[in-house]
Amino acid sequence: MSEERPKQKTTAIKSTQTANEAYKVVKAMYARAQEAVEQGSPVAWVMVSTCCEEILKAMGVVPVYTENFGAVCAAKKVAEPFLHSAEAHGFSRHLCSYARNGIGYVIQLKETGMIPPDAPAGGMAHPSVLIGGSHVCDPRYKWYQALGRYLDVPYYAVEILEPPIDADFEAVKQYYIDYMVAELRGLVSFLESHLGKKLNPDILMECVHIAEQTRTKWWECYELRKAIPCPMPTQDAFSCLVPNDLDPADRASLAFYERLYDELKYRVDNKIGVIPDEKYRLLWGGGLPPWHSMGIFNYFESLGGVTVMDITYYPGSPCLEVADCADPLERIVRWMLHRFTEWHSRAARGCGNVIVQRLLEWIDDYHIDGIIMHGSESCRAGTFGQLFFKNVLKEHSTVPVLFIESDIVDTRSYSEASTKQSIDDFMEVVASNKENRIGQSGFN
Amino acid sequence: MAGNNLAHAVEIYRARDKRARELKAQGKKIIGYFCCYPPVELMTALDLVPYRIIGDIREPMSRADGYIESNICSFVRNCFELSLKGRYEFLDGVIIPHSCDAIEKLCDIWRYYNKSTPTYFLNVPHIIHEGTYLFYRAELLRLRQSLEELAGKKLQTEDLVSAIRVHNENRALLRSLYRLRLPDPPLMSGSEAIKVAIAATALPVLECNEMLRGIISEVNAREEPLPSGIRVLLYGGQIDDAAFVDIIENCGANVVMDDLCTTARCFWHEVELDVDPINNLCRHYLDNIMCPRTLRQGTNHVSELENRFGYLKSYAAEFKATCAIAYTMRLCDTFEFDAPDLEDYLTKQGLPFFNLEVEYKLSSMEQLRTRIEAFLESVAEKAVRS
Repeated sequence: MSEERPKQKTTAIKSTQTANEAYKVVKAMYARAQEAVEQGSPVAWVMVSTCCEEILKAMGVVPVYTENFGAVCAAKKVAEPFLHSAEAHGFSRHLCSYARNGIGYVIQLKETGMIPPDAPAGGMAHPSVLIGGSHVCDPRYKWYQALGRYLDVPYYAVEILEPPIDADFEAVKQYYIDYMVAELRGLVSFLESHLGKKLNPDILMECVHIAEQTRTKWWECYELRKAIPCPMPTQDAFSCLVPNDLDPADRASLAFYERLYDELKYRVDNKIGVIPDEKYRLLWGGGLPPWHSMGIFNYFESLGGVTVMDITYYPGSPCLEVADCADPLERIVRWMLHRFTEWHSRAARGCGNVIVQRLLEWIDDYHIDGIIMHGSESCRAGTFGQLFFKNVLKEHSTVPVLFIESDIVDTRSYSEASTKQSIDDFMEVVASNKENRIGQSGFN
Repeated sequence: MAGNNLAHAVEIYRARDKRARELKAQGKKIIGYFCCYPPVELMTALDLVPYRIIGDIREPMSRADGYIESNICSFVRNCFELSLKGRYEFLDGVIIPHSCDAIEKLCDIWRYYNKSTPTYFLNVPHIIHEGTYLFYRAELLRLRQSLEELAGKKLQTEDLVSAIRVHNENRALLRSLYRLRLPDPPLMSGSEAIKVAIAATALPVLECNEMLRGIISEVNAREEPLPSGIRVLLYGGQIDDAAFVDIIENCGANVVMDDLCTTARCFWHEVELDVDPINNLCRHYLDNIMCPRTLRQGTNHVSELENRFGYLKSYAAEFKATCAIAYTMRLCDTFEFDAPDLEDYLTKQGLPFFNLEVEYKLSSMEQLRTRIEAFLESVAEKAVRS
């Protein structure tokens, strides 16, 4: 009998204590949903960034974030059977692997009548409603439509559109707000009619206030990462985003970021970095993370590189203009629009592109030596533009850019060895680039 | 042009920019646009010539690889390749709608590398709720303002109403042309029909209408019928080259109806002509363009399938199609998500269905011939058995 090989660790070693608590938060979310089903309480399957977190909290609906489930399945290396199930039902292998994972999960659920035994965190509890959205990418509303083949569950999709950079934002702002507030009102009506519950506007306002504080505190944590050495690397940020992105209106989420902030502040004050010698500061400049292989962040660290900033889940600065807004739904929308348009006028005055403008500003603010972008095979919305961003960056900056190619969930065409080889090559360029810069400027 | 209208259309199809460049030389402003969503009526009403931007499946890709990732829709990459090579330098402006992720994200890149030509972004909602029309109306008014600046004149309501009329006439003529394939055998081939439809997107509307009237009359006067074959309903995304249709028809089948981004999807319905023309454009472009990028829901899965695909059942019945072939562009998420539901739906209607995942390049299509032949043979055998 052959000896069982030790399991290869693919998750990243985290630097902060608080980040190590994040998976407990994730598991608790799935457990709450399972309890809700047992107690006959409503559960919603939800896409992130659909502006419904506060509404669900106020109405006592427990959310399950199906994209997050894809990430968890990838990290736990249990996604492949779900991907196969979806593909066997005719869903193209090119489609978003979060979606294929989620569809495959539902297929198995339907075929066996039970939660698949390998599902991590106890699996996704059966939903009472589905809430999709059009923000970020098309699969986020098409995926739940496709679930109609297997689940007879009411579905509402929230339209969320970003104002274009070529528009005068002040001129279009009001009709964007009106439209998206109407979309959220539609969501409230949908939930009220399907769940037989009424939304209490006072409770919603309280939830909105908590969520605003949570988002502000999370953003303040990001600000602390400007310190040298950096107190929190990207792999920690990608874990710590969970309470903010999935449950910001919960007081426990706010408390989570208060703890994190205190921990980071202590590290900044005491110059405690991620690694003993932070030689190179890196920026995660695009793409969703390779959830199956988060250990690559530690590989950068083994070569002296710390990812000190990331664009993918950047929470955005607080929206100050909501202070006088008495309508909780409008507050949600204004906050979101602020996040979308924060860089518009600066980009129009600067390099002309919103993403590159951010990267350029962060290169200065966070003292960046190299940029990493992750081209994810099945996540086109998160990948499209990376070459363009690199080309435009080159016109304004000498900071080198690395492209890593894999996927968010699907590892079938991923090679860790070749990824590490390209990281080795990249870090040599980063080192020589930094030496040249120091040589030219005379100081570090 | 008596007796030569179809030949003229084929000539335009082969050199789509020829007429647009002539018009440009005469002082006309040419406005390029992607997809079915930008309202051509607004352009015509402002005396701008609408020109649909398409790719070229015969063009080797050499430059776009440095700008757009390989896992992005090959049609979008191809269009950008053509732009880099100067094929669209004659345009005075470009409208890029938020029709899908790939087209939306192309906008920034297109704008950046075509700085001398204004690029206008049009946000098109994906989900139809009560407030959607008001929002889209505001977006169209914003577009109108940009186009007025380009045209150097204000839009007059009567000009817009008049433009809606002539574009409706254009749609009606294209439908009449398409219905020339109703008889068995059809009076014109699918390949011919598609060439005309594609040529139509490169001409000023009045000129196109005249050409279409001529073609209809020429085809009606044909004495030699086409060979009869299996009647195919073709469904899919961006087909702007008849090569794929030729492959099907060279296998002995007749493509009797095609519901594509470049063809019937754009002209099967008309814009209403009641009180408010901008509202009518909103309704038309949001409700009538049956692209999977728009979420169409129902009260349950069965009614939703009817909302999404019921019109294909009507096409199959009207054109007496005996099978359906779907041309699904690889990496086109919205079409790919729909494929299993579409197969279920059409199969339940008793229509043999074949879904082909295709790259936007000629060499990829040639490889499909054997698979198409096999499918058509199975349809023929089934017909004999029954």
